[in-house]
Amino acid sequence: MRNKILVVDDNKSNLVLEKDLLEVAGFEVFEAENAADGIAIARKEKPDIIIMDVRLPDMRGSEAARILRQDKETSYIPIVFVTASVMAGEKEEINAIANSGFIGKPINTRTFAKEISQFIRGKE
Amino acid sequence: MVSVSRSFYDVFKVKPEETVGQLIYDLGNKQWNIPKLRELLETILPQKTTFDNYEVEHDFTTIGRRIMLLNARQIERGMGKERIILLAIEDITERKAIEKGLEKAHEELQELAAELKRTARAKSEFLANMSHELRTPLNSINGFSEILYDETVGPLNEKQKKYVDYVLTSGKHLLLLINQILDMSKVEAGKMKLTLSSLHMKSLLNEISLLVADMVGKKKLQMSLEIAEDLPNIDGDELKVKEILYNLLSNAVKFTPEGGKIGMRAKKNDSTGIDIVVWDTGIGIASENMGKIFEGFFRVDTPYSRITEGTGLGLSLSKKLVELHGGNLSVESKGLNRGTEVRFTLPIISRKAA
Repeated sequence: MRNKILVVDDNKSNLVLEKDLLEVAGFEVFEAENAADGIAIARKEKPDIIIMDVRLPDMRGSEAARILRQDKETSYIPIVFVTASVMAGEKEEINAIANSGFIGKPINTRTFAKEISQFIRGKE
Repeated sequence: MVSVSRSFYDVFKVKPEETVGQLIYDLGNKQWNIPKLRELLETILPQKTTFDNYEVEHDFTTIGRRIMLLNARQIERGMGKERIILLAIEDITERKAIEKGLEKAHEELQELAAELKRTARAKSEFLANMSHELRTPLNSINGFSEILYDETVGPLNEKQKKYVDYVLTSGKHLLLLINQILDMSKVEAGKMKLTLSSLHMKSLLNEISLLVADMVGKKKLQMSLEIAEDLPNIDGDELKVKEILYNLLSNAVKFTPEGGKIGMRAKKNDSTGIDIVVWDTGIGIASENMGKIFEGFFRVDTPYSRITEGTGLGLSLSKKLVELHGGNLSVESKGLNRGTEVRFTLPIISRKAA
């Protein structure tokens, strides 16, 4: 069965880029442009991994992650933050979340899918 | 009033004939009838026989508002009971004005310093935000052009491939610029942290020279390396040291016309560090431009500079990174078209070691 992956990014073209790269790599991709939609999809689809931007229109990615962690149904799903932020404070914010990772933007399209797969494998 | 010094007449614009023999309070048409002076002379002095540094402010009709510093001694003259008062009056109006001015200037300076701090913080926040805002679209520009270039979604014809390569190269250039601007601002704000480890400099220098070997070959340059056998390891931030060396070597390549020579020398110096020189036989630097080369984005205005790629921040950032390690960096050139030598030192044990 194909691995399920949820991508949450409010930048439409970034979302398409990540989705296409992951689809080419064989993932089944779900997408959301804000945290609330992302959380709803996560509860319904229970993806193997979630890719999330740190700055989302309705809340911060770290806040969305905390909500997912509090829910038994989604608490185990690894979360990889893909963000253009370079501020130390935001990295600390991410580090504080268990079972999470970080990939900086711009992403390397040649290695992106492999990097993401490693986070799933790291979990199992 | 028994006797009065000449300067008293000058300062307070009173005449001798209407002074001696008069009560001080009556002077100058009773201008000196100052309650505080009365209190001092009539109440305090008889008890204490002396008072020091009393400030009295008074509005004189003839000379305006003055601030006076009063000192007095009550003394007995001869054997008799005659007591006289020695009263020294110093006009400190101007001194007070200066002091007040100084105080005000000091306050203004403090405000200015606080304002500068706020501005610096706003600047670094702005740069961090700008960097985020610029990376987001760049993620799409670089990402999609990389996918197109790799022909992941289908083959391109020769021109399409060339054009998309230009887009990708420009996007990567822009990303480098953003990163370097951010690094510069981090260094300036004192927020750049070094991750120190023991660096095997001999292999690190060789590794970097391999990174530029391609560029060197394309321009048919000769590159020579003179690395001392006893070159010691140093404490440094590996990525930053590599960045410094890469910046300097790629500058040497960029600013040396085809067929020229570039090179790198490294040895232990007499004190507790290593000296590294990156040299070239290229376009050099005119003496009048020497002072400007560490300013960001400075480019020598020659036809040659137009075809050289670069961000214009490499040298100034390298200098800052060297200094962060506790070393120093300087540039020498005998003049235009006579080559350039960039020398820098790195301490064996970095001062920044925590």
